[in-house]
Amino acid sequence: MLSAQERAHIAQVWDLIAGHEASFGAELLLRLFTVYPSTKVYFRHLGDQPDEVQLLSHGQRMLQAVGVAVQYMDNLHAVLSPLADLHAQVLRVDPTNFPLVIQCFQVVLASHLQGEYTVEMQAAWDKFLTGVAVVLTEKYR
Amino acid sequence: SLSASESFPMSQLFVKVDEVGAEALGRLLVVYPWTQRFFEHFGDLSSADAVLGNAKVKAHGKKVLDSFSNGVQHLDDLKGTFAELSELHCDKLHVDPENFRLLGNVLVIVLARHFGKEFTPELQAEFQKVVAGVASALAHRYH
Repeated sequence: MLSAQERAHIAQVWDLIAGHEASFGAELLLRLFTVYPSTKVYFRHLGDQPDEVQLLSHGQRMLQAVGVAVQYMDNLHAVLSPLADLHAQVLRVDPTNFPLVIQCFQVVLASHLQGEYTVEMQAAWDKFLTGVAVVLTEKYR
Repeated sequence: SLSASESFPMSQLFVKVDEVGAEALGRLLVVYPWTQRFFEHFGDLSSADAVLGNAKVKAHGKKVLDSFSNGVQHLDDLKGTFAELSELHCDKLHVDPENFRLLGNVLVIVLARHFGKEFTPELQAEFQKVVAGVASALAHRYH
């Protein structure tokens, strides 16, 4: 459960990302593929060396989904249900990969927000993204 | 394995930023509050401000980072370098090795915070490899 302060921190950080979903998403994916190359096995449709256009396109889609999760953070089960189905039936991303995405997400936030990235924001986003990951893998079995 | 070139930027960045260790340990204790179980004797950890301002947290964070930096000078033999510390963390401190991985990740985030755009994906990759290597070395002597 998210406290009122945690919700505020989550929304506050999202306000800084909103409108820039594509570039944040592209950077997230680039970091993921560079730091954790094994994650590329799940993105073969992007080709061997995903170009900027592909990263921007896919990154935007991922971050837009995060934006929806932020908007409905009190009801993640309902709002992420279609994505949970997709991950369970089609994508079947091993659950151990979600912490890797979260680590890269934190690095993106920290490197962009720098002095403004308080420990409270880091804690709230870690809790929030972990909650999203739990919902996305909930229907796996 | 980790090469000499991978240690170059890392040791440089450590030198550039004071208090990275204190900040990393402080953030670990706030973001993952269960890690406070090892620091109950540190006094007031009741709020984020209390943790980050806690003198013992700061001192211990610096100690951890100094040890880390030392380890970075010996990337070719992390297991040997951290053998004694590994035994200490197992036999005396009873720290779950998962905490080394968590702290390593938080350290990377703290570095990203300080270096901003300079903290490229490639640099992140190098640092993540090193923190993973150190965590693994610290777990190596557990029995």
